[in-house]
Amino acid sequence: MKILKSWLQDYFSDNISDQRLIDILMSSGLEVEDFVSGIDENVIVAKIIKIVKHPNADKLQIVSVDTGKEKLKIVCGAGNIEVGQLVPLAMPGAKLPTGEISQATIRGVESFGMLCAEDELGISNDHSGIFILSSEYKTGKPLNQYLNSDTIVELDITANRGDCLSHIGVAREIAAFENSFARKEPISLSKIDSKHCSEEIDINVKNPEFCPQYLARVIDNVKIGPSPKWLQDRLIACGAKPINNVVDVTNYILLDLGHPMHAFDLQKISGQKIIVRNAKRTEDIVTLDGEIRNLNSKMLIISDEKEPIAVAGIMGGKNSEVDENTKTIVLEAAEFDPKNIRATAKDLKLSTEASYRFERGIDSGGIEYVINKAANLIAKVSGGRILQGIIQVGEKSKREDIKIEYDKIRCQLGLEISNEEVNHILRLLGFVVNDNFATVPTWRHDISIWQDLSEEVGRVFGYDKIISIQLQKTASPKKSGYYFLEELKDILVKYGFSETMNYPFLSENDVATAKLNNKNLLEIANPKNEENKYLRNSLIPGLLKNVAKNPSFDSIQIFEIGHTFQKTKESISLAFASAGKSTNQQKVVDVILSKLNIKSSDRTVTITEYNRQELENFKIKKPLVCVCEINLSKILGNKKVYQNIKLNNANKKIKYRGMSKFPAVTRDLAFIVDRKVNVENLANDIYCVSNLINRVELFDEFASNKFGKDKKNIAYHIYLQSTEKTLNDPEAEKIINKIIMNIEKKYLAKLRKA
Amino acid sequence: MATNLKKNQMIQGNLHPISSLIREAVKAFESLGFKVFEGPEVDSEWYNFDALNMRSDHPARDMQDTFWLTDGRVLRTQTSNGQIHFGKNHKPPFRILSPGQVYRNESTDFKHEAAIFQLEGLYVDTDVKVGHLFYTLDFFFKKMYGPETKVKFRPSFFPFVEPGFEVSAKFNGKWLELLGAGMVHPKVIKNMGLDPIKYSGFAFGMGVDRLVMLKYGIEDIRLLRSGDLRFLKQF
Repeated sequence: MKILKSWLQDYFSDNISDQRLIDILMSSGLEVEDFVSGIDENVIVAKIIKIVKHPNADKLQIVSVDTGKEKLKIVCGAGNIEVGQLVPLAMPGAKLPTGEISQATIRGVESFGMLCAEDELGISNDHSGIFILSSEYKTGKPLNQYLNSDTIVELDITANRGDCLSHIGVAREIAAFENSFARKEPISLSKIDSKHCSEEIDINVKNPEFCPQYLARVIDNVKIGPSPKWLQDRLIACGAKPINNVVDVTNYILLDLGHPMHAFDLQKISGQKIIVRNAKRTEDIVTLDGEIRNLNSKMLIISDEKEPIAVAGIMGGKNSEVDENTKTIVLEAAEFDPKNIRATAKDLKLSTEASYRFERGIDSGGIEYVINKAANLIAKVSGGRILQGIIQVGEKSKREDIKIEYDKIRCQLGLEISNEEVNHILRLLGFVVNDNFATVPTWRHDISIWQDLSEEVGRVFGYDKIISIQLQKTASPKKSGYYFLEELKDILVKYGFSETMNYPFLSENDVATAKLNNKNLLEIANPKNEENKYLRNSLIPGLLKNVAKNPSFDSIQIFEIGHTFQKTKESISLAFASAGKSTNQQKVVDVILSKLNIKSSDRTVTITEYNRQELENFKIKKPLVCVCEINLSKILGNKKVYQNIKLNNANKKIKYRGMSKFPAVTRDLAFIVDRKVNVENLANDIYCVSNLINRVELFDEFASNKFGKDKKNIAYHIYLQSTEKTLNDPEAEKIINKIIMNIEKKYLAKLRKA
Repeated sequence: MATNLKKNQMIQGNLHPISSLIREAVKAFESLGFKVFEGPEVDSEWYNFDALNMRSDHPARDMQDTFWLTDGRVLRTQTSNGQIHFGKNHKPPFRILSPGQVYRNESTDFKHEAAIFQLEGLYVDTDVKVGHLFYTLDFFFKKMYGPETKVKFRPSFFPFVEPGFEVSAKFNGKWLELLGAGMVHPKVIKNMGLDPIKYSGFAFGMGVDRLVMLKYGIEDIRLLRSGDLRFLKQF
């Protein structure tokens, strides 16, 4: 939700800096998603006195401006400026939404700031040219003196804090952290008509369980039209669209006090009766968005004598909408049951600003204030007269007070805090404290146990004051199956296999390709795309897709350990695959089986070799692919303890190179080196030559005396790739030559010419 | 005579960076007495939601989009289901660490994934305090990122804890929100079959994918499950 600083200041008079505002919001638990400061002090009104062409750039100009104090030269590219105009100048040090302005040299000419377009000031999206200012502004003055520039904070309000979906709610939090109180001005109603509203409308709440309170006022003689600018400005800044003066006020009150309201056109209410009841199964309603909504008997609606006129707490009906001919309105402010609103909104797949707030709970003690403030504002902006009295059905429900467990709170937080300090913090937040009991404010629905109070006390007192307490020493924990699985990974890695992690999903297409029977698969009821239709019962389709995805590798050895799913059973499985010209799959199977204590005569573990057609189905071009899958659940199941496992440590020196969109250049290099040379170390040395080398792959290693005594031939594929562009031949050649030079020198190697 | 040096066996494979990071974390928490326990990925609505104080009639249920199975069960949305499974079968005190995959039914992009790894910790005992939680996480981040690492706690909301915290660590000079934590909600303790007046606890959970991305500067989360060997071979 978007919050305006100027609006918050309706509720507390002290000036507060932007930084302090953010700090408080963060430490109160209201997450700041985005923050736009008002126009910086260092953006001033400047007068253009001269424009000349930039000597080194066709599209740029050098603009001389008068700042009232001095004359400055600014480099500018916009075409819409003329001598004599007033324009916004961001001086060095000015903070704009795009960053801080500094003095800069642009194509050899010094620029002492920047002339700004509207978007650069963060006041609109307009980037069509420099923002030309009114000639009434004074040269040298900060621009924010003239423009209504506000600090806007976008908050991500957690599901427990419905009370902060409003300016008053956020103001209360800020005031409490400033050791004071948000102040709601009392409402004195103006323009009261002698007629009583009960002469115009009758209210009947049939289902008080879903509607504990219903308040209504009637306003006569309204003239529907656009709202005044200040009201529209606030709505727009918060992301709401102005509609007309009456609707705008209800939306304004929603953002202001967090209470969703509704206005009906009295002339359109049949029988001048409002009935709050559950819908009939056969009823439907066209809501304000033009959609027909089928209702059911669990849904609470507002109806007149004949038919539904609103879905309670969610959206009004077309049939009672306020329009340009409306003369008299009925203003509704009610409390609806959060669970019922939530269920109805889900059933109708209709979530609105109103339902969002009712689901989270409104201030059940503030409804009269809400309806009075709204009525007054509507009278003011539409010229209407408020009829006497409020029709009020029901009253706010009583909630149980909470015992303040001072000792438990002190103990849980580990804070030295007196009972008096606890009471003071709770009072700042609007609790009434009496005899060790706290009455929860009517706007807070997230507080019911002492732990909730503990959080309130802790966050206002300051979590930074909580001191760490060391955990008591215990015996080192027993090593579970996790360690065993990790040990298997180490073995596979040692044998050249790389670990992959695949989604546990299968599409209909995967099922067909892998010839699985979808009757045995668990199915997702609400997949967002067809890739997520089933849960895998085997790791193999994923591995085969991995093989297909890596055509540039001559030989592939991969494995995965992950969960697999049958209709009633979830298992942990291991699968590994080798692909290429030849494989050592049998050797690895033997090692793994002996680790798992499975006899190699066990028929349940088999290596599958795929034929050409099957490989084609998976779009695999490699001549040979072998896979093997083992269900590990049984082996892990017997509560073994694996105390002596030592896992390999993570290699901390890895430097990741980003993946590039540009094609790689491949070169093969073969060297004759001493037999003892370690091929991995040599590969590493190749890597170190340039950042543009992103893969070094050994593809041949062959020892023979024909290369010389104790010599061997080693050959690498080398992939060169830039993240910024396609490399050209000379660039690649330069790197390759450097590799050859380095390797020949360090390993006394000899390049083998192809 | 020519000798084939069996090149396949001489060149190492690669451990997935997610596995490596979990391994590092397990090692850190092991020294504080945390034992690894893994819960199921497919679970009942009760274990995944209700037992964790997320009833279907409360908006907290909407915090994540959920994959529902046609048999009424769910793909877990957080590893916290393991808390209840473990708590039901063990008597405190206990300290467990649950690494595992969790699921979000949302469209994927470079920041969002349908499957991510979480690492969750739980400590239940008599008289567990907020200070214990602060100590544990401070210890963990210093172990992972060096003794100078600073850790900060801010209020936040997760239905299964009260009070709840958002925990940030200063990483390469920048504050980053890395995990959620809090004191186990008495209702959750009760759902483990334990007496919430006698027992208290803390819990925390972090997204492993994000930690891996930060560690290596990986810009697209989808690379982790791409099966692209040009990526995997770097680790």
